Amino acid sequence: MSKVLVVADIKQGDLKSSTSELLSKAKAIGAERAVVAIGGNIESLSSDLANAGSDTQYIANDPGLELFSAGPYTTCVVDAARQFDADMIWFGFSESGKAVAPRVAAQLDAACATEITDVILEGGHIEVVRPAITNKVIQRVKINTDKLVAVVRAGAFEAVEEITGTENVVELSPPESDLKAVIKELVSDASGEIDLADADIVVSVGRGAKDQAGIDLVKDLANDLSAGFGSSRAMVDGGFMAHNKQVGQTGKIVAPTLYIAIGISGAIQHLAGMNGSKVILAVNKDPEAPIFNVADYGIVGDLFEVVPILREEIKKLS
Amino acid sequence: MKILTTVKKVVDVELTMRVEDGAIVEDGMQYVINAWDESAVEASVQLKENNGAETTLVSVGGGDNTDMIRRCYAMGIENGIHIEDPALDKADSSIYARVLQMVYEKGDYDLVITGKQAQDTDSGQTGIILAEYLGLPCVSNVVAIEVLDGQHIKVSRSGDAGTEIVEMELPALITVDVSINEPRLPQMRGIMMAKKKKIEVMDLAALGVSADDISAAAPRSEIVEYMASKTRKGGQKFEGEPADITAQVVDLLANEAKVL
Ligand SMILES: Cc1cc2nc3c(=O)[nH]c(=O)nc-3n(C[C@H](O)[C@H](O)[C@H](O)COP(=O)(O)OP(=O)(O)OC[C@H]3O[C@@H](n4cnc5c(N)ncnc54)[C@H](O)[C@@H]3O)c2cc1C
Ligand SMILES: Nc1ncnc2c1ncn2[C@@H]1O[C@H](COP(=O)(O)O)[C@@H](O)[C@H]1O
Repeated sequence: MSKVLVVADIKQGDLKSSTSELLSKAKAIGAERAVVAIGGNIESLSSDLANAGSDTQYIANDPGLELFSAGPYTTCVVDAARQFDADMIWFGFSESGKAVAPRVAAQLDAACATEITDVILEGGHIEVVRPAITNKVIQRVKINTDKLVAVVRAGAFEAVEEITGTENVVELSPPESDLKAVIKELVSDASGEIDLADADIVVSVGRGAKDQAGIDLVKDLANDLSAGFGSSRAMVDGGFMAHNKQVGQTGKIVAPTLYIAIGISGAIQHLAGMNGSKVILAVNKDPEAPIFNVADYGIVGDLFEVVPILREEIKKLS
Repeated sequence: MKILTTVKKVVDVELTMRVEDGAIVEDGMQYVINAWDESAVEASVQLKENNGAETTLVSVGGGDNTDMIRRCYAMGIENGIHIEDPALDKADSSIYARVLQMVYEKGDYDLVITGKQAQDTDSGQTGIILAEYLGLPCVSNVVAIEVLDGQHIKVSRSGDAGTEIVEMELPALITVDVSINEPRLPQMRGIMMAKKKKIEVMDLAALGVSADDISAAAPRSEIVEYMASKTRKGGQKFEGEPADITAQVVDLLANEAKVL
């Protein structure tokens, strides 16, 4: 039986949904399941971690782990992987996961695969499936080592309701801090906002909104819907939106129930971050905009006219 | 400061990819510098201009990389190393990282700048693995660099909860995101000068390493098949009076798609 260690995705003290999604997949392939949780103030999470579907919880809880630092986080994951004797270590999709996974792989002499959408146990070896070349093709990749470290693409696995686990906490000793790459500060302008990765609805704004006034207009729509508020790269590069709001190949990958793209042309790099969404609505004044090739519903029109009407019509529903 | 920048030649992602019998049809493909590496080159050249640095690039594989390397010279890179060897045909990230490690160890570099990811693999791991192999401090997904003194740099990394500001001791490795800068277009004078510059092309033997040393024949992972990606189909597109079509779409979202 294979042994899967899932790296818990914790943000602002809360366990994110990817953790139970990954544990559900581990169960589906008949694996033994453990989870490793790393943070500064997470002692209260152990029952949540068990309920997410794990039978062992490796917990590294230390004030020095409050802010993300790839070196110490790697040490914790490697420690847990060795204690559990994991043959697969799975990260949910996050910037921290993408930073730590290759390091863990190098330290464990394991193969590393990122943005995977499936894992197949085939005739004694592991195979993974993943998109490549800006989502233009899918690769099937054979893993030649006994161990695999993987980062799972957002929305790839579904959580099953009835998954349960047992609480069995193993405390990890705090790692040494990385004195050669010292995190000085976290500049966050997103506190209190809905996390894009978890949101059921995501509203994103593109260059079509022009400036701050246009952005505020679209943000009001996001607020009405209690939606995550994202952006194309154009608005991030323009200095209007924070980096961690960018949806796309080099930003966040999202797969909400409803994705609303406002004033976004639909470049392949943007599509790579959202085309796993269940339903896509696009508003664009150019009927030929490529975003309409992927949108389930398209409104051809000026966003400055359409968005206020959209808000009105949505309000009427409740 | 001596800077080593890694650069990979990749397929032009804007082209249509055709897949036949589990492989990408090479016919009609064009190859360009990886976008993230172009940003790494620009970042290196800016450090050279603003703080004084010697800049070297290294590229592994890709066949004839002359055009790409000349373009980087024209942007301001001073030295170019190209490692090409048939033994690298099956190379994965870990093997590329081993080759890059050998190149690093032959020089005396203070900073390695790699791209965050390559557009052909979309993998984002080679630079980070290289840092592990070299035992260097590493920050990935960097969107700004500031030189503090001869031994330290300060970088901004785009992280999950915001921008993380990290101070690093040199020698160090960073992987950069495309948002870090707008790569310059090479100018005529640079292009002319680049033509005269030498590119150091080496095979593994010239680098002083055997294929076995870097397990070149035993990649940790290998692509066994390419498949066409699932394409989404466009649905209903509405043109006309904004009030009418918007009301219609909201109704469909609520009652047909049932997502509102
Ligand atoms: C390596 C690489 C990685 C990248 N990664 C990402 C990424 O992660 N995410 C990302 O988004 N991009 C990414 N990009 C950039 C991408 O290629 C596009 O440049 C970007 O997505 C364009 O943003 P946009 O759609 O907002 O702007 P534009 O392409 O300029 O489109 C603006 C749209 O708004 C419409 N419009 C204008 N005015 C109005 C109006 N009044 N009402 C309605 N519609 C209007 C226009 O018709 C147009 O379609 C990447 C590029 C590269 C090379
Ligand atoms: N063959 C190669 N030659 C030079 N640099 C490479 C090579 N492969 C990967 N890199 C570097 O590593 C980065 C990440 O690549 P990847 O892990 O394939 O996404 C790229 O942006 C390059 O800077």
